[in-house]
Amino acid sequence: MQNNHHKEHLYKILVIGDLGVGKTSIIKRYVHHNFSPNYRATIGVDFALKVLNWDQETVRLQLWDIAGQERFGNMTRVYYREAMGAFIVFDVTRPASFEAVTKWKEDLDSKLTLANGKHVATVLLANKCDQGRDVLTNNGIKMEQFCQENGFVGWYETSAKENINIDEAANCLVKHIMASENDMLQSEVPDTVTPQLEKDKGGTCSSCFRSQ
Amino acid sequence: MAADNRINFWRRNPKVPGSVQPVYGAQHPPLDPRFRRTYPKDTKPKFNNLKSKKASTFHEFARSTNDAWDIDDEEDEDFFLTPGPAPSLSSGLHSASTVFIVVLLDFLIFFVWPSTVRSTLKKQQSLPVRPIIPLVARISDQNASGAPPMTVREKSRLDKFKQLLASANTDLEELRKHSWSGIPREVRPITWRLLSGYLPANKERRELVLKRKREEYFGFIEQYYHSRTDEHYKDTYRQIHIDIPRTNPLIPLFQQPVVQEVFERILFIWAIRHPASGYVQGINDLVTPFFVVFLSEFVTEDVENFDVAALPLDTQRNIEADSFWCMSKLLDGIQDNYTFAQPGIQNKVKALEELDAGTLHHHKYEVEYLQFAFRWMNNLLMRELPLRCTIRLWDTYQAEAEGFSHFHLYVCAAFLTEWRKEILSMVDFQGLLMLLQNLPTIHWGNEEVGLLLAEAYRLKYMFADAPSHYKR
Repeated sequence: MQNNHHKEHLYKILVIGDLGVGKTSIIKRYVHHNFSPNYRATIGVDFALKVLNWDQETVRLQLWDIAGQERFGNMTRVYYREAMGAFIVFDVTRPASFEAVTKWKEDLDSKLTLANGKHVATVLLANKCDQGRDVLTNNGIKMEQFCQENGFVGWYETSAKENINIDEAANCLVKHIMASENDMLQSEVPDTVTPQLEKDKGGTCSSCFRSQ
Repeated sequence: MAADNRINFWRRNPKVPGSVQPVYGAQHPPLDPRFRRTYPKDTKPKFNNLKSKKASTFHEFARSTNDAWDIDDEEDEDFFLTPGPAPSLSSGLHSASTVFIVVLLDFLIFFVWPSTVRSTLKKQQSLPVRPIIPLVARISDQNASGAPPMTVREKSRLDKFKQLLASANTDLEELRKHSWSGIPREVRPITWRLLSGYLPANKERRELVLKRKREEYFGFIEQYYHSRTDEHYKDTYRQIHIDIPRTNPLIPLFQQPVVQEVFERILFIWAIRHPASGYVQGINDLVTPFFVVFLSEFVTEDVENFDVAALPLDTQRNIEADSFWCMSKLLDGIQDNYTFAQPGIQNKVKALEELDAGTLHHHKYEVEYLQFAFRWMNNLLMRELPLRCTIRLWDTYQAEAEGFSHFHLYVCAAFLTEWRKEILSMVDFQGLLMLLQNLPTIHWGNEEVGLLLAEAYRLKYMFADAPSHYKR
């Protein structure tokens, strides 16, 4: 466990958002490097695994693709359990799916907190950006403001179809998850003073924003 | 604790008093439901009690909502009912031993005999035992093409169906009994219409009922379909509209605009007539088997690539209306799967966990049943099996008294057991969950479904006959 030569991390990541915004497509692109316009609607939850080499360490991401229909909302509590991070996805061509973003964020925060009482790191994805830009996402400053107000650690315009920004968004989320993990490890032993090591990939919020 | 005791009990007592356990491989239609009612009160199957209690709670809920489930679609069913043979309550004559012998005979006939025939055929013509099924699995029944010619038994089965269907008043009990082990393709459309309760047993009345019901459906379309753009319904319509192109995305038939429009109309009308559930993802899949079976009446080659627009408009409309009504009948029986919080599914997933004593319970990686079995219940295993298998499965579900609601649970339990070896060989959580969500059934056909149903049948009677050991 303390062996720093080859450390393994396992993180459970949720992918949530309204139905048909492209959650499954994003995961398929990220994990299998392909795209199809016709994935069947997810029922309940679908599970995928992505393994990353992160510096000298191995990061395993359990990606939980959660069905977007409201009727399934009652099951989300079971699926959220023990997650470390989340993507909330909306479709830039469908404003209603953006309106649902705050609803999903509230659902997530009300049902899931980390051991230290904080909310899990969440990245907002404005998907289908290849199909024309939403007025809202045109305004980067407004979006960053929205993220800060609603507790997102960052946002990305993505396209699963054209493979735009998926890896970047995932790296951003992993960075924040690692940071909060370090945070928790330290708060676990409050009586001990441990010197904090500067890490390259410790990640602060702003380092993640694509605009920087 | 209680669960552990139960598991040990079943382990230590392979022979449970009163169970019909030795009927492994049974293909016989289930016991007459009336037979079960002759049990003394205290040995009444616990599970049934539980269920009816739930149903009454749901009933209260349903009554408080204004829903088409409350509307009596069967207004003239009584009128059409003909004085058939009065239900004899003395069906207890079917003693367990008689059933056992019949079942055993059926087992021999169904499994042992045909396999010898097959292996002889194999030697003679060097045919593969199983027809090769393309990756995009063919929809139609394996019997349809590429299969050896009809055996004597298959021929006599078909004749029996034809005889039952041709009589002035079809004996539905008898029809169910024969349908349990699979309905021949030629007579499947009409048999499904009868078993679902859409068509009356009285032959003379059938044409009239069909005509009236089809008109009624298109009356709904005329009256309500335009409302899909209304503020109140546009969200429902949008969800359906998103899901239709991704229903069976790999089968060309369902990419035809004509077919997609049929599905949209059926689902929209059903959804607005059932506001207690509305449209729930997964219901779109449930239209498919009906549509394919009713279409198959007009298609000789493979349905998968058939151009529906080439059919006369009247025929297209009839297929659409019949699919709507039969799907509605099916959903009437599983309504609580789709209402708020989906209690039907939650209960069945819990019950599956109780029934499963040998697979996941013994696994050290803690996969939760809801993580994979939710879909099994919500989509009636349609996502786990090729379409041709679902169609075969539904022959039995429609022959069973509560096939889609109750028997399905046992089929799921049998399905889980089927993969016991693979499940136990998994070395981590990820591998296990991915296996459970992607079980390799692409090659499955009638034979595998037959075995699955036999195991489900065995489980059903094992648990129904030992109520005190099935505690929640």
